[in-house]
Amino acid sequence: MTFDILTTPATSPASLLFQQCLAEIVPENKDLNQIKDEIGGYFLERSEPVSLSNDLWMKTINSTSMKNIKRAERRIDPFLSRLPRTLQAQLNDKKIKWKSFKDVKIASILPKDKNEKLELIHVMPGAKIPQHTHEGIESFLVLHGSYSDEYGNYNQGSVQIRSEDHHHTPVGHELTGCIGLAYTHGRIKFSGAFGKLLNIIAN
Amino acid sequence: MIFGEIMVKTANPFVAAILNIAESQDIGSFKKIFEYFSPRLKSFLMKSGAEESIAEEIIQETMTIIWTKADYYDPKVASPSTWIYTIARNKKIDILRKSRKAILEDIETAVLPAVEPKTEENIEHDQKFDLIAQQLDSLPKDQLDLLKMNFFEEKSHGEISELTGIPLGTVKSRIRLALEKIRAKLDKNGAMADLKESDRSISIN
Repeated sequence: MTFDILTTPATSPASLLFQQCLAEIVPENKDLNQIKDEIGGYFLERSEPVSLSNDLWMKTINSTSMKNIKRAERRIDPFLSRLPRTLQAQLNDKKIKWKSFKDVKIASILPKDKNEKLELIHVMPGAKIPQHTHEGIESFLVLHGSYSDEYGNYNQGSVQIRSEDHHHTPVGHELTGCIGLAYTHGRIKFSGAFGKLLNIIAN
Repeated sequence: MIFGEIMVKTANPFVAAILNIAESQDIGSFKKIFEYFSPRLKSFLMKSGAEESIAEEIIQETMTIIWTKADYYDPKVASPSTWIYTIARNKKIDILRKSRKAILEDIETAVLPAVEPKTEENIEHDQKFDLIAQQLDSLPKDQLDLLKMNFFEEKSHGEISELTGIPLGTVKSRIRLALEKIRAKLDKNGAMADLKESDRSISIN
């Protein structure tokens, strides 16, 4: 499954970030991703050049001279430092807006999009997420810690794909909890009494 | 000196150009990169569906990142063409969406920190990407075509199967085999020495 995700060309910011995080978090994935990108570079060098507009160089020079090379300080944030560098770069100058549901916190990484979403899910140690299923398909990557559900235990770097017919009750590891990255096509749907409330808040 | 010869043989002129931009904001080096890569980027971007004006907008943004973030470039991680390709590809993914409002940060500069001074002594790095290029040069054409479709023309395995008439499972296994072959060669040459021995196999699950 990892191989399929890494070798399927990303077509949106959310799928690209998910893929990069997956590539970054497991050494053998990083290796594969580097080779894959080198193949892109190899063919770029061998592409037939297409002539440019006459003013493109001047436009480029003008736009670069406007840019201030001094950049924002890297934020020292103990939470950010546990995330892959890809997410650190994406989130560095932004405030992470968490929505809290008891012992579970959820934050969107990208602005709202009707087709897909990318979220950080932070499950506190030992916390249980009410039983729920998913609308559309959710790919969940464990970034830090681990969790378990009715089907198994999932450690850092593993990916689980869930769809509509999948009901489960995840529980964060009792010592580390779990931070994960969820890439979803469609909205998450909670079942059960507490779930109804969560559906209203989450949607 | 042998060391000197190796340096000359493997040193990629664009590595030096990016280092010059990082160190002294050398406009001549920047122009060299612009003139070589922009027409090729335009070809790549237009083939992947960008209109001419948008392709040039993406090129301009890519070049701006090269100029402002050259000090993030790490020759141990990627060849110049690969670094430039990934910047342009990521910009394309961001800009070609319907809303056209960019939302991605420059995540390709995330291989931080850019603190290690880059000098002549530590640029004998590009062995790894030279090796990958050599491996690609030696692949049979049909295998190379599959890799090109997947990782440069950005086609999914399903699309490749439809285009070539090769069954989906065969497309996947051929691509995996080609990648494993390249990695095995790199391992043999110690080019992946920064990775743990146990982490070498490509995960397929």
